[in-house]
Amino acid sequence: MNSNAFLHFLTLLLFKQKGKHIGAVLISVIIIFLLSSVLFISSSLQHTLLGTLESQSDFTVSRVQAGKSINTPLEWVDKVLEINGISKVAPRVYGRYFFAPREESFLVVGVDLFDEQSSKELQSLVKDLDLKSFLSTESMLVGEGVKTFLTEHYYKEYFSFKTPDGKFKKVKMFQTLPSQTNLIANDMIIMPIELAREIFGLGEDEVTDITFNVPNDAEWDNIIAKLHLLFYDVRVVEKREIKKAYENLYNYKGGLFLILYLVTMITFMLILYQRYSMVYSTERKEIGILRAVGWSIKDILKLKFYETAVVVLVSFVLGVVLAYLYVFIWDAPLLSQIFLGGANLPNHVEFVPVLEFGLLGSIFLFYAIPFLAAVLIPAWKIAVTPPKEAML
Amino acid sequence: MNEILLSNEVIVYLLSETVLYILLFIAFLSTLGLLKRWNFDVFTTEQFALENRSYLVMTIIFFVMLLKVVLLPYFVYTIDNLSNLIPGAMCGAGVIKANEYGNPLLSLKIIILFLSGLWLSMNSIDLKAKSYPYLKLKSWFFVLIFLLFSAEFLLDILYFTHIETTNPVSCCSVIFGQTGGANGLPFGLDISKLLILFYLLFALVILTTVSEMAVMSIIASLLFGVIAYYSVVYFFGTYIYELPTHLCPFCMLQDHYFYVGYLLWGLLLLGLFLTIDAAIMQSFFKQPAKSLKRISLLLLSLFVLLCSAYVAVYYFKNGVFL
Amino acid sequence: MISVENVSKIFNEGTPQAFEALKSIDLEVSQGETMILSGVSGSGKSTLLSLIAALDKPSSGKIVVEGELISKLPDLHASAYRAKSIGFIFQHFNLLESLSVEENVIAPLINSGLDIKTIKDKAAKSMKSAAISHKASQQVKELSGGEKQRCAIARALVHEPELIICDEPTANLDKANSLKFIEILQSLHERGKTIIVATHDPLFETLSFVSKVVHMEDGVISSE
Repeated sequence: MNSNAFLHFLTLLLFKQKGKHIGAVLISVIIIFLLSSVLFISSSLQHTLLGTLESQSDFTVSRVQAGKSINTPLEWVDKVLEINGISKVAPRVYGRYFFAPREESFLVVGVDLFDEQSSKELQSLVKDLDLKSFLSTESMLVGEGVKTFLTEHYYKEYFSFKTPDGKFKKVKMFQTLPSQTNLIANDMIIMPIELAREIFGLGEDEVTDITFNVPNDAEWDNIIAKLHLLFYDVRVVEKREIKKAYENLYNYKGGLFLILYLVTMITFMLILYQRYSMVYSTERKEIGILRAVGWSIKDILKLKFYETAVVVLVSFVLGVVLAYLYVFIWDAPLLSQIFLGGANLPNHVEFVPVLEFGLLGSIFLFYAIPFLAAVLIPAWKIAVTPPKEAML
Repeated sequence: MNEILLSNEVIVYLLSETVLYILLFIAFLSTLGLLKRWNFDVFTTEQFALENRSYLVMTIIFFVMLLKVVLLPYFVYTIDNLSNLIPGAMCGAGVIKANEYGNPLLSLKIIILFLSGLWLSMNSIDLKAKSYPYLKLKSWFFVLIFLLFSAEFLLDILYFTHIETTNPVSCCSVIFGQTGGANGLPFGLDISKLLILFYLLFALVILTTVSEMAVMSIIASLLFGVIAYYSVVYFFGTYIYELPTHLCPFCMLQDHYFYVGYLLWGLLLLGLFLTIDAAIMQSFFKQPAKSLKRISLLLLSLFVLLCSAYVAVYYFKNGVFL
Repeated sequence: MISVENVSKIFNEGTPQAFEALKSIDLEVSQGETMILSGVSGSGKSTLLSLIAALDKPSSGKIVVEGELISKLPDLHASAYRAKSIGFIFQHFNLLESLSVEENVIAPLINSGLDIKTIKDKAAKSMKSAAISHKASQQVKELSGGEKQRCAIARALVHEPELIICDEPTANLDKANSLKFIEILQSLHERGKTIIVATHDPLFETLSFVSKVVHMEDGVISSE
């Protein structure tokens, strides 16, 4: 069965009747563009977040009082070390520093630079960090959002923290964290752990929380039970729960959009149905002519099906390519704020290109199935045009 | 439950199923009209309109079936993705077992695809004749398939709304493995007997198809299908995973195995379907379906080749069997 | 070759606007014959032609063409019959205005299973015999009446059908073009084709190659 004649004729018709389909292509491209952008952003964010999460410790313990986290005793570290199967125990000091006149805050993270592991991690984060001169004076590393904010408030090289005992602590802004870290580090300040202690007024025997790893995942539930036995006022946060929470978050936000699209899609289908039924009378005559010269209903249906398939494919490719450019080349102005908006400090994130076939498949099905379904009945109606119509 | 429903893939999947079901319902109503008033010997405008109606029904069924063929791997892909949200599940196997609707749903989907394909074959034979001889048969058959479609749609909704993300499920190694002791091969077979049956039945399918023994080839195909399933899960799969204890039909659909599962199961299902379809066309409708048979045998041979290849490659790389 | 037995056609049956366009028509046309159907508009000529061309189905009766019962064919077969055996030339040409002459001419052969090159060759031959080759790539809407008619002829002949049916072919042509058309008909007759023309153009009444003239009035045959 030679189909090149059919394809030849199909191409002819499509080219000569472009006008018929332009409207549908336009709406389709817009819808696919929006949908793809949303999904690209959300999957890219998810990917980045989960990536950073991977390198985090499996567990975090802190002390609670009246349901709230309070400073954790340093001596807990020894008790935790005694439990079998635990590795890489690291106490942490961090907290939120509120910039009093306005309600913005910075996440201050203390890093123990004498701990080999921590300082290695820091150096891999900030590639060209000159550790020696960093440690020579009291300095800190600031995220981009912090830098912008402080510069706006005329703090160009130093910033004075107000400590809980009323004194001011002047700290030098050594370097800005690279913009790739903006997603998590935009409002972050990294400083030596002693400095962080001073700023938050923590005693020498206090830390914010303690992190550790448990390599054998079969032991996880066991360890949690042991911890609760050891300390009556402990809170244990598991990385696997955080992971789930992140995934849910992005599903939720993405899902919310999809439901919005449901509404759009239904409207879209109605418009299409209307539109393709409207072209009725001119197209009817043409189809009648084809029927009169020997085209069967099956042939006409085949023609309509392929016509629609071309429109679907072209719109899909255009929409996805535009979305890709918008999100990954131009960093999605406007739309990204919906996902990142409400962040503490204004953030500007570069999205990491993440392209999954499953994602593209989802977009395609979401668009193609309603489209084809909406056009099916008008197409059939036209295909069964009695050839006699051609004689009128 | 909400996290499941709001995950992108599930929304897309359920939306697609809904749209298709609506179309099928329209086809169903039209078919009822056809059954009631069809009379080929009459020359009324109504009869001509009914002939046009029958084209609507066949277009819808064709379109729906085409998309269901795409939606089946998409369903499996969705299930696989959900394994991230359900504790204990590392692949689709655990997710399917998250409630009692999963397995019936999957099996029903495959059966429906088979039956729809049969309907389309029947339809093309009906069209070739000059008096629509099979119209009533076709229509009743579709009514049956529609009931199955309705069950499938219902199960879809039930399944996805009853997945608990708080209850841990078993991973495939527990479901399929022999560590539990309770999931050994059926009929008391062991691996070597299973393999003998596998290759023997394959040969039988070829034989019965080529020599046009229709009923025998249907039986052989069905048996081969069952044995092939067990062979892949309990033997060939272990060579794909390169781990003698990893028994699972779903894990091979994941990306670190290069998605070979889709190819494997696809070849098997399509090959079996075409063989059975050709046999039915031959025995009930007296149509020799030579090209169908050729393609089906080709597909099944590719399937067997692919399975055996994994074993052979492993042996050549490592000098021993698992 | 064509046998019409007791054929009737009622439009809008069962409604108050029911109209019996043909009433128990009996007609025979032999192979190679050229037959004229004459009568005023509304006499049922076009309806009868559309039935013979399987463009429509009768309300009762039988139509047999070359031994095949075409009055009750399902769509797939009716279309195949039209695509193979009938060349229909319509009163208003019925061409696809947005396409060119050649593209119109190849339309009937698209689903025939032939490859595009063969189809284009056949189209070229057909356009030559209809004297419209020089306008092959021109859009139909830019053609004159006579040229459109010749394009329609080329399309009707491209698949080399045995039966040529024309519905008021000269109604929209001037005298010169009408005569040209009759010439083409004559050459077709000489090639052994069976031709039926529905017309009330007096030019056709005195043609030498016409073997039968059938008058129709109010849906019945009034004289032969």
